[in-house]
Amino acid sequence: MQVKTGIFLCDCGGTLKNIDFPKIKENLAKLETIAFVDISHNLCLEERAIASRILREDINRVVIAACSPELCEDKFKELLKGLGLNPNLLSIANIREQCSWVHEGDVTEEALELITMAINKARLLQPVERKEIPVNKELLVVGGGFSGMKSALELSQLGIRTTIVERESTLGGKLRELEGFYELETSPEEMLGSMIRSIEEDKNIEVLTSAEIARVQGEAGNFAVRIRKEGKEFSRSFGAIIFATGYRTEILPQDFELKPGGNIISQQKLAQILRAPEKLERRPETIGFVLDVSDENSRLPTLSTLNNALAVKKELGSEVYVFCKNLKVDSEGMEKLYREARSRGVVFLKFEEKPRIYGGNGRVKVEARDVLLGEEVTLFCDFLVAEEKALPPEGTKTLSSMLDIETDSQGFYQNENVHLYPVTSGRKGMFFVGGCRGNLDLDRVLTDIPSAAMSVHELLSLGKAMVEVEKVKADTQKCRACLTCIRGCPHKAIRLARMDTEKWLAKIYDLACDGCGICAAICPAKAIKFEGYSDEQILAEVEAIRE
Amino acid sequence: MNESVGVIGGGISGITSALELANSGVRVYLIEREAAIGGQAASFCCKATEVCTKCSACLVPRKLKEVTAHPRISILTNSTVSNLSGELSNFRVEVWQKPRYTSLKRCIACGICAEVCPTEPKAIHSPSPDAIPYCYVIDETQCLHFRGQECNLCQGICPTNAIDFNLKPKKQELSVGAIIVATGFEVFNAREIGSLGYGRYPNVLTGLDLERIFKEQGFLNLPLNGKEAKKIAFIQCVGSREERHGYCSQVCCKYAMRFARLIKYQNPAAEVTIFYIDLQTAGKGFTRFYEECRESIRFIPGVPAEILETTSGELEVRFENIPEGKVERETFDLVTLSVGIAPRRDSWDLARILGINLGDYGFFDAKEPLNSIETNVKGVFLAGTCQGPKDIPDSIAHGVAAAERAMEVLEKCK
Repeated sequence: MQVKTGIFLCDCGGTLKNIDFPKIKENLAKLETIAFVDISHNLCLEERAIASRILREDINRVVIAACSPELCEDKFKELLKGLGLNPNLLSIANIREQCSWVHEGDVTEEALELITMAINKARLLQPVERKEIPVNKELLVVGGGFSGMKSALELSQLGIRTTIVERESTLGGKLRELEGFYELETSPEEMLGSMIRSIEEDKNIEVLTSAEIARVQGEAGNFAVRIRKEGKEFSRSFGAIIFATGYRTEILPQDFELKPGGNIISQQKLAQILRAPEKLERRPETIGFVLDVSDENSRLPTLSTLNNALAVKKELGSEVYVFCKNLKVDSEGMEKLYREARSRGVVFLKFEEKPRIYGGNGRVKVEARDVLLGEEVTLFCDFLVAEEKALPPEGTKTLSSMLDIETDSQGFYQNENVHLYPVTSGRKGMFFVGGCRGNLDLDRVLTDIPSAAMSVHELLSLGKAMVEVEKVKADTQKCRACLTCIRGCPHKAIRLARMDTEKWLAKIYDLACDGCGICAAICPAKAIKFEGYSDEQILAEVEAIRE
Repeated sequence: MNESVGVIGGGISGITSALELANSGVRVYLIEREAAIGGQAASFCCKATEVCTKCSACLVPRKLKEVTAHPRISILTNSTVSNLSGELSNFRVEVWQKPRYTSLKRCIACGICAEVCPTEPKAIHSPSPDAIPYCYVIDETQCLHFRGQECNLCQGICPTNAIDFNLKPKKQELSVGAIIVATGFEVFNAREIGSLGYGRYPNVLTGLDLERIFKEQGFLNLPLNGKEAKKIAFIQCVGSREERHGYCSQVCCKYAMRFARLIKYQNPAAEVTIFYIDLQTAGKGFTRFYEECRESIRFIPGVPAEILETTSGELEVRFENIPEGKVERETFDLVTLSVGIAPRRDSWDLARILGINLGDYGFFDAKEPLNSIETNVKGVFLAGTCQGPKDIPDSIAHGVAAAERAMEVLEKCK
């Protein structure tokens, strides 16, 4: 089809005085493939006039020279759509914010160049169709701990059918080990009991225990998952996956000069003592806690230390000392807990150099330099509660490499962007919730769950999704299946597929693609074309300003 | 049964909630008190050095654009909630909308009206250079027309006839199924701590001042004489972790370290000191960032009690040198007070209108521990910093979570 371009110039209510519009019109009219050049005062308010002009002249490319596309692009794209013209056939030159407003004096030449660039690009624009594709409405939750169960329950409320896959023979995960929270009436056991009951009653939730993920194929909206349960493998299909695989805790031997044992104990051991203090031979007089020795990413250990320190005060009445570096109070309610602990007589000692710890059986000796006192402190305690480091659970590495999801330096799942999108992974349709994405405190875990639930609901609830078809496409003639794009794609949207030919070639999956353009840039055979930013289009734009 | 949601507050949490709900097919009314949406976070600057320091300030504009373009979101700017009646799934919200005296539909933001406006500061202005909606607004208190004089210069010159002086405040009643409160926070007013000299000494700034300075001009000079700042101190926990604000604001350690890095990056000769109580360095990747900071920035435990100005305009900071056990004085060119997040002073009004509880320090109170979203009123949810301090990513996550809760109750009522 022959290219026929219509150009609309807008002088923004006559305020762009440093541009000579009639001169621009004169110059542009000389160019090829131009059907007309219109000058308007307020283009954004004259949608009807534009529409009738486009229809009358039967043009197939629209160039608009006006204000920033930030302000007007969506409006004009909608307009084109309404006229049955593909919105991708629009090209905008920003002659207000990027030209008239930022220069002194006459800028007609500059504006002309910007518009010519847009025209050159418009000539090469191709329509991008939008299509509805079906989405499987079922969700898979990997991990049946607190986060996993809660996610399933939330989504069931929103009408999404969920399958929980749990590696162990029972649901519960860490909730089975936790000891309860200060001032919270529900114990973890009761919480677990009521959650399991709700899950059993819920018709929307299916639970597969003693089961593992063997393989995952496909993309968002349609993941084909092989599940291994009791030696047998079977396939299921899901629209999205939430990972809630949790974390494990360990006292790192290198952080404490002696291996834990004897009277250097874990938080969990302390919890057992607190549950049955009568089993102790005698009441411990002094209990010490150590924080911040392995690293300072210690919100979770700080929370359990404060909770347990208060519990010790209440149950045993012992003297409690907490050795720490910078106390982590930057989460909901922590400062309150810290004040409470101090008012109950818990002593906080701040160190810069790692404390020295001696003795494993009998009393434990802790030596540290307290920076606030400026003095060496020696403490003999009956029990020393060591900091437990949160680590990714076993199998995280296998799962992440199987799924092509990245992990961070500590081995936790890496979300798409550390700070920006907490629960989304690099792959569309896969989400992380809770401890498996890092050392999180309880409050943040509780925000994660509905946050992921909402994203899943958005993706699945309609059972369909609109995508732009082949906006990024690999040329079957040029593709050499070298896998460069597959390795480079941060969203794992490219796979090898057997196309109409016999060859295996790179195929970009529209729903999984984020449109970042990395594949188009790194393809050594220049086989991948990113419509709107293809080499030809960009070179044609550059051509317009070449002197 | 009403399947729409009213979101009170158009800051980052509110717009996140609105977007999530709208994307799931719910109709949303976004009620914003100011003339533009975006809230506090929209006024923050990018703190990147040679690398991104992940301050998240850039997240806001993108979301703003999405919100304005969304067909299922109605934005009510200049609007406040004056009454609430009804109950879950059938709330009636009374909203007063002040006129902006310009037509959102007609204004093309050419700015010619502000050029002819004879008052100083201009009575007709765009709320900020990147305000959304990007539409001019008339400030009644400045405008000569509203002060009884005969001035209609802007109306005469407006190329699109967008200005109308006869607009009146408008009351409307919205019918919604659920409500999300996302009214945000107020920055702690550093003047309350007189001994730190904020407001008296031009070279004592707050974190918020730094945000604005870097956003507007991109670099930092001494406000007093425009010279380069060579010796800079940050004082942490100003308005946090004290008697009346017994909580950690969660954002100040991070922004102070990011600013310190940015200042060192722009001017490697500058000496930067951070006075702190406990550095909050938890969070993915932030521990490493802190380690990098320690190479070039001095960290001193303990927060100074007093700042005095010397005759030459330098600032003398009195602090306790804890390791040495004595009080010391040191002079700096510039001191930044890392002010914290405080509840909005008008929270009480809204709490009364909506019937929700206020917590210990004046933030809205959640119904129970381990649930920071639901309130004591069924169908009214909290999002973002109106519930307690949060950084931008946490506010976004909280906004999404609140949207989910609202979705859930609407589904249940079906």
